[in-house]
Amino acid sequence: MEKIYKSFGANNVLTEVNFSLGAGEICALLGENGAGKSTLMNILGGVLPADSGKIVIDGEEKHFLNPVDSLDAGIGFIHQELNLINDLSIYENMFITHLPKKGAFLDAKFMQNKTAELFERMNIELDPCTMVRDLDASYKQIVEIGRALLQEASIIIMDEPTTSLTEPEIERVFAMMRTLKEQGVSIIFISHKLNEVMAICDRYTVLRDGNMVAEGLVKDTDPMKLAAHMVGHEVSNDVLKHEATIGDVVLELDKLSDGKNFQNISLSVRAGEILGVTGLLGDGRSELFQAVFGAAGSKYSGRILMDGKEIHPSNTHQALDNGIAYLPRNRKENAIIKDMSILDNGSIVMLSKLKKGLFIDFAKQEQLFGQQGEELRIKMGSQYDLITSLSGGNQQKVVLAKWLMSGPKLLILDNPTQGVDVGAKEEIYHIIHRLAAEGVAVIVLSSEAQEIIRICDRTLVLFHGKQVGELVGEEMTETSIMYLATGGNQNESES
Amino acid sequence: MKSKLVKTDIIGWFKDKWAHSPMFSTLLALLVMILVQSVVMTNVAGSFGGMFGKMGMAWLNILRNNTYAGIIALGMCFIIISGGIDLSVGSMLCALGAMLMYLLDEMNGPLAAMGLVGAPAYAVAIVLIIIAGAIMGLINGVLISYGKLPPFIATLGTMKIFRSVTQQLTKTFNPAVPKGFKLIASAKIGGQVILPIIYWVLIVIAMHIIFKKTALGRQTIAIGSNERAAKLSGINVAKVKCKIYALTGVMVAFASIIYLARIGSMDFANAGSGYEMDAIAAVIVGGTAMSGGRGSLVGAFVGMLIMGVMNNILNSVGVPTFLCDAIKGAIIIFAVMLQKKDNV
Repeated sequence: MEKIYKSFGANNVLTEVNFSLGAGEICALLGENGAGKSTLMNILGGVLPADSGKIVIDGEEKHFLNPVDSLDAGIGFIHQELNLINDLSIYENMFITHLPKKGAFLDAKFMQNKTAELFERMNIELDPCTMVRDLDASYKQIVEIGRALLQEASIIIMDEPTTSLTEPEIERVFAMMRTLKEQGVSIIFISHKLNEVMAICDRYTVLRDGNMVAEGLVKDTDPMKLAAHMVGHEVSNDVLKHEATIGDVVLELDKLSDGKNFQNISLSVRAGEILGVTGLLGDGRSELFQAVFGAAGSKYSGRILMDGKEIHPSNTHQALDNGIAYLPRNRKENAIIKDMSILDNGSIVMLSKLKKGLFIDFAKQEQLFGQQGEELRIKMGSQYDLITSLSGGNQQKVVLAKWLMSGPKLLILDNPTQGVDVGAKEEIYHIIHRLAAEGVAVIVLSSEAQEIIRICDRTLVLFHGKQVGELVGEEMTETSIMYLATGGNQNESES
Repeated sequence: MKSKLVKTDIIGWFKDKWAHSPMFSTLLALLVMILVQSVVMTNVAGSFGGMFGKMGMAWLNILRNNTYAGIIALGMCFIIISGGIDLSVGSMLCALGAMLMYLLDEMNGPLAAMGLVGAPAYAVAIVLIIIAGAIMGLINGVLISYGKLPPFIATLGTMKIFRSVTQQLTKTFNPAVPKGFKLIASAKIGGQVILPIIYWVLIVIAMHIIFKKTALGRQTIAIGSNERAAKLSGINVAKVKCKIYALTGVMVAFASIIYLARIGSMDFANAGSGYEMDAIAAVIVGGTAMSGGRGSLVGAFVGMLIMGVMNNILNSVGVPTFLCDAIKGAIIIFAVMLQKKDNV
C-alpha cells in the first residue's frame, strides 16, 4: 500500500497539504490555476524540494533531490508538454534514458522485443518501430505512459493529459488508464475537465490557494459540487444570455479554400453577434481563421470581405489595419512573449502606433493598458513584472487586452479558455458578451461543445475542413454538435 | 546588531542582483579585470604612483583599438537579440572601405570628377557609404526574411561574396586617402587621438536609446523571444528583421569610415576579418542570450571592454601572442556558462 503525506509552510504556495493514494487507484487532483497542483506534483516528482513535510511510499519515507530519485521510487511524471523525440522510433524513445548496448552498438532487437512485450501487457497494438512523429497525440501519451511503466513506475502522474486530444483519443487514453488500474498501478490525474474526472477517477482531492479544501469518493459527488469546491462558490452551467443589437455584416467569407485544411467555407457574421465555430481536432478551423487573419500568407482561394469590401490579407499586420483581431490557441507558443513585461505584452499590438516622435509614447502605453487591465480585471503585481509571473487566466486576459486596445471590429478567439481556470473562464465569457454588446463581431473557435452552447448565438460545425452544418440558438446541444462534428450527417448522405 | 543587519542586506542585495541582472555580473567582471590590470600595471611601472599613467595609456589603447569591432557589436547585439546572427560584417567593412576609398580618391574618383573636393566631398561620401551599408545589411535581411534562409547560412554566403568581389575589383586599386578626411578620426584633442572613442560612445548611447525607447527595440525582443507570437500580434516580422540587418549595415558603415580615417589605408584581403567573431564574443560576454529575446546594448559595449582589458593584461604579463586567443576563448566559454545559471 502506498500512502503519501506532505505538509509545508513557506510562501504559502502550499499550506499543510495532505495527499494520499492507494494502489490501483485513480485519484483526481483538482484546482484552479495557481491553486498549487503543479507545485505539489513537482515536489512528488522531485522537480522541486518541499520546505517541510514528508513523502512516504510503501511505508518508507523518501527524500527526492531530483526527478531521477523520484523515478527510482516508482513515480512516473507525464508532463503536459510531452517529452518525446519525434525523430526517433517508439522503441528508441522508450529506452532513451538508458540505451541498452550490445558491444559498441545499440541492441535494437532487445529494445523492440521489450517494447512489444510492454505493449502486450498494456493491451495495445502498436509497432515499436513506428516513428513517434507519425503517432497521433493519444498514442504519444500512451508511449510516455509505457516509458514510465518500463521504468517500473507504480505511480503515474498525468498533468492535464487530455487538453490536446480529440474525443476518441481521450477514450483510448482512458481505456489504457483502466487497464493499468487493474494491474495495480496508481494514477494521479490532473484535469480541468470535470466530466472526465467523473468518468475515470475513483477519488478526488481539491486544492484552492494552496490549501486542501475537499476530498472524497467521486461516486459521492457531482461536477457542480466539484466546481464549487474549486472556485469556492457556486458556478452556473446555464446558457448565458446576452443583449446586443445585431448590426451590419462585418465579415463575410465566400468559398474559402486552402486546398488542404479547409474547403469551400462560406459564412458571415454581423456586428454584435457571437458566432461559434466548432469541430474535432483536424477540422481546420484554426487554419481557416489564421488565413482570414493573414497568418497563412496568401495560400488560399475564395473571397474575404470586411464591411462588404474585399480584402486580401497575406500578413498579420494587415489584419490590424482591417480591424481584425485574433487570439490564438496554445497561449505559450503563440501568444506569450516570455522575456517581456506584462505591460509590453499587453500593448505589443499597438506599439508601432503609440508614437511620440521617434519614440514610444510610454505615458499613453501605460494609460491604455491600465484601462484594459481595469476593465478585464487583470490581477497582477506590477505591470513591469514578467508576463510569466501571472496565472494562466490572467495571461490570457493580457493577450486579450493587447487586441482590445486596437479597437477591433472583428474579434476571433481561438480556444479562448484553454488552460484557464473555472473562475477566469466565467469572467472571459462575460467579457466576450460585453464586447458583443459594444458592437464587436465575435467568432469563438472551440472544441468544447459546452462552451459554444453557453456563449454563442449560433455555431458552424466543421468536419475535416468541410462545413457540415449550422445550429442556431436552442438547436445547439452537445448531442447535435457531436453528431455533426463526427461527420454524422456525412455518413448518412453517403449511404 | 544594526551592522549585522546591514551586512546581510548587502549580501542579499548582491545575491539578488547576481541572479537577476545579467548587467550586474558583466559590470562586476569588468571591475575585477580592472583591479587585476591595476596590479599588473603597478608591477610594470614599478611603483603605485606610476600605475595611473600606465593605466591611462592602456585604456586609451583599449578603447581606440576596439572601436571598429565595438561599433559593429552594437548592431550584432540587435541581431542576436532578434534570434539571428550576421557573419558578413567583417567583409562588409572591407567592401564599404573600398567604396569609400573610391569615392574619396582625389585623382580618379567620381566626386573629384564632379569638382567636389574637401569637406563637401567627405560629407557626400560619408552619406553615400552609410546608405550603401544600409543596403548591404538589407540584402542580408531580405535573404533571411523573404528568402527564408537561416541567418547563419545567408550571412555566411554574403560574407564570402562581399570579400571576394571587393578583392577582385581592387586588384589594381590603391588610391590615397585625403589628409583632410583622416582628420575626422585622427585629429588630436589634448594631444591624444580620442575622436574614435567619442564616436563610439555616442553611438552606444544612440543605439541604447533606440533599443529602449522605440517600437523597433521591443519588436526585436518580441521576435527573438517568440517569433510566432510576434507574428500573431500583428508585427510585420519580415520588415522588422530587414530594419535590424540594415541598422547593422549602418553600424558597419560607421566602423568603416572611422577605420579608414584613422588608419588611412586598407588591406582588402584582411581588413575586418575576424570582426564578426569579436563582435559576437563582445555581445555574448555582455550578457546577451545567444538564443535571443534577452540582452543589452550597453552590455555589448562592456563586453568589448572586457575583451580589450583582457588582451591588455595578457600582453603586459608577457603571454605569448598565440596563446592570448586561447585565453580569450576560455573567457567566452566561461561567460556563457555563467549565463546558464538562470535558465536551467
